[in-house]
Amino acid sequence: MATLKNTINPADFDDVDYARYPDQFDPVEGRHPLILGNPSFQSVTNDVCGPAEKPMPFGWWVLFGTALMLLGLFGISIGYLVYNGTGVWGLNNPVGWGWAIVNFVFWVGIGHAGTLISAILFLFRQKWRTSINRFAEAMTIFAVMCALSFPTIHVGRIWLLQWVFPVPNQMGAWPNFRSPLLWDVFAVSIYGSVSILFWYVGLIPDLATMRDRAKTKLKQIGYGIFALGWRGSNRHWQHYEVAYLILAAISTPLVLSVHSIVSFDFAVSQLPGWHTTIFPPYFVAGAIFSGFAMVVTLMVLARKAFQLEHMMTLKHFDNMSKIILLTGSMVGYAYAMEFFIAWYSGNPYESFAFINRAFGPYAWAYWTMITCNVVSPQVFWFKKARTHIPTLFVVSIFVNIGMWFERFVITVTSLHRDFLPSNWFYYSPTRWDVASFLGSFGLFFTMMCLFVRYLPMIAIAEVKTVLPEANPHHHADAEHAPAAPSTAVAH
Amino acid sequence: MSHHAHTIDAGSIPRLPASSLFAKLPIIGGLVGLGALGAALATGMGAAETRQQLWHSYLVAYLYWLSIALGGLFFTLVQYATRAGWSIALRRVFENVAATLPLFLVLFIPVILGMHDLYHHWLDHDVVANDPILLAKAPYLNEKFFFIRAAIYFAVWIGLALMFYRGSVAQDQTGDRTITRRLNGLSFVGIALFALTTTFAAFDWIMSLDPHWFSTMYGVYFFAGCVVGFFAFLSVITVLMRQAGHFGRFLTEEHQHDAGKLLFAFCVFWTYISFSQYFLIWYGDMPEETIFYRLRQTATWQPVSTFLVAGHFFVPFFFLMSRHVKRHRFGLLGGGLWIMLMHYVDLHWQVMPNINSEAMRHHAGHGFHLHLLDGLTFVGVGGLFLAAFGMMLGRSTLVPARDPRLAESAAFQNA
Repeated sequence: MATLKNTINPADFDDVDYARYPDQFDPVEGRHPLILGNPSFQSVTNDVCGPAEKPMPFGWWVLFGTALMLLGLFGISIGYLVYNGTGVWGLNNPVGWGWAIVNFVFWVGIGHAGTLISAILFLFRQKWRTSINRFAEAMTIFAVMCALSFPTIHVGRIWLLQWVFPVPNQMGAWPNFRSPLLWDVFAVSIYGSVSILFWYVGLIPDLATMRDRAKTKLKQIGYGIFALGWRGSNRHWQHYEVAYLILAAISTPLVLSVHSIVSFDFAVSQLPGWHTTIFPPYFVAGAIFSGFAMVVTLMVLARKAFQLEHMMTLKHFDNMSKIILLTGSMVGYAYAMEFFIAWYSGNPYESFAFINRAFGPYAWAYWTMITCNVVSPQVFWFKKARTHIPTLFVVSIFVNIGMWFERFVITVTSLHRDFLPSNWFYYSPTRWDVASFLGSFGLFFTMMCLFVRYLPMIAIAEVKTVLPEANPHHHADAEHAPAAPSTAVAH
Repeated sequence: MSHHAHTIDAGSIPRLPASSLFAKLPIIGGLVGLGALGAALATGMGAAETRQQLWHSYLVAYLYWLSIALGGLFFTLVQYATRAGWSIALRRVFENVAATLPLFLVLFIPVILGMHDLYHHWLDHDVVANDPILLAKAPYLNEKFFFIRAAIYFAVWIGLALMFYRGSVAQDQTGDRTITRRLNGLSFVGIALFALTTTFAAFDWIMSLDPHWFSTMYGVYFFAGCVVGFFAFLSVITVLMRQAGHFGRFLTEEHQHDAGKLLFAFCVFWTYISFSQYFLIWYGDMPEETIFYRLRQTATWQPVSTFLVAGHFFVPFFFLMSRHVKRHRFGLLGGGLWIMLMHYVDLHWQVMPNINSEAMRHHAGHGFHLHLLDGLTFVGVGGLFLAAFGMMLGRSTLVPARDPRLAESAAFQNA
């Protein structure tokens, strides 16, 4: 069976006729195998480790080169900012929070899919997560890195950044514990740390595989150090599984808490448009929404570039688009509730904030948001759209754009028309705002490129557990579908 | 294609035995429920003050049992949407709980009878005419539109509940797998309709008791209550059914464990939602919003609020976290009954401070109290709900007999 893989062109799986696959685990839907092509354990290892062992394709170099240039731009724009102060941004009197905050929330949001897939879907016994969790978790960590850079540079006097930590000092100066900005420091850094830990624990068996396959001494030592002496013994696996379950349980509340606390940055204020009670779950739904969109965007590229179509299958995209549709609709629900309650409250300032959003000077941003976030995912009601790669790619880009605009709409439109009409200003970004935002994509894609270059982008050990051979009821003969509890009712 | 099938013998599909206590629910529940409701109406229909008490007590009891039925409808929809396997053996219980929804249309009549006592602020034309905020809301908060909306809610809920119940029962006869597919497709639309109708029902029936107050979270808060109430009820039923042995080998410790996990998870979800709502209002500290909590944090309502926080979150959080407890019959039974109690406290705490709220602000004596009518209405609506539930249990087999995933469910194990 190890040779079987070679006869398969992975691109064939984009229009696979699922009817050819007999009912395997599910009697109604014919729950098809999560990994197509009936691969052996050996070929799974080869397929996943291969990209990290072979020279990268041309497209990777193009992406990496572009990303490095943007990363350079990020460095320049940060340097210029630190030298000159936040006046180089487009902030003005009522709009004290501009793109930096928008970018921060945008990136934190993207950083939600990874842990949701690894932790919550794990607790929900969603086995399809095994093909995508590694990739999504890596994306999460890099997105959190991008996110953290924005508040860091927004503080103005970056050389005093250590003051955000409650370190005892002889001046008796403490950060303001009542400020949600400080809670952000704790929430995001805890989330980042636990995500890295979770990702790393999952990586250990695969790092050991990479170590064992290494052709050079340097690689062997490099992977070996991080594999922590993993030998794959029964005892190792037992500890590993317990650690994984516990980390999943710890990460689950973190998925909800991070973006809830980010939403507090806005919602604890008294500002119409920011102060509303639905913000925490609304932000969490939006975060998962944008995170899955980014996973789809990146996976469409990665599976093509590294011939992983049989592992990141259309089934995975089908499921992810359902989550995008669900969370997109939740976000739409929240928009509707905000609007309804703004009217229902009878508070003229509330109503004004929302009418101004939809019909004021930033109406273009508002309707961009609505179109991208609420309207575009509705195509996912149709299975054809959910399993059509170009549609998926386009919609995922739309959602990425829409979710950036959502944060822009929340931040800027609520601020730009203050209670005093003499305090009304239109906000526009400067070139340095744009440069640092583009630059953060440089950081993100540089890290993503390095990740696919050096690490197995699919959790090898976990994927093997969802192969038919891993099922204790599996029959040895490969011609048949793996046996699962069938459900014929005898009469 | 099936090699070694876990074949299910048609004869082994369990039915509710006539000797079971559950089979007697229609009679016992019906008699007790009608008796208690009759007594409540007889004692409550008097002076204006007792009438206020009667209708508020009734509203709490009504919302309590309605929320459990709505939770059952929601969870039925979720089973189809996610193509769940583990839960199939229990799914008829969800469907039966949801199928009691037509009863709540009938039981809505007392809410209509009492609506001028309950929603006296926005139903009183003189009050509205002199209150610019209520005047602004009049296009939404008016008697006619209130009835139209209620009709829509019931149409959606009853329609969905019966559609899913009938589909499932029809499959018992025919074994037609296309039913599963069809209901899977409908479930997504159903969830969307469910979300909108329960949200506005919460606005109409609870939030508008104080028509000046508003919270965008309120719909989600009510939804969280529905789900947690339902899982508490489900946990209790699961344990009792296992103890009675009616389900045979179809209902195991594993299903009980999962019911317990869901109860635990949604206790935390409820806390997340209610804390977020509280916290943002507290921090913002704007009088038009804080009034809701001010009422509930003064005088005799303060200990109730504290009890709600402790009893609806801290106690079950630590108690239900244990795997052993969730798999233990008395453990989950106790946990389920406790959350059922706390769910009542939650709804009581939402509705009751609105009685004589004007007077209550000045006299601590009008604060928290348990009235005989609270008990009578709770038993009354609950008795009728249980009667309907028991009747539904007896109407079909206890498990979806020919659901294609039944064997998967019966063999399910928590890894």
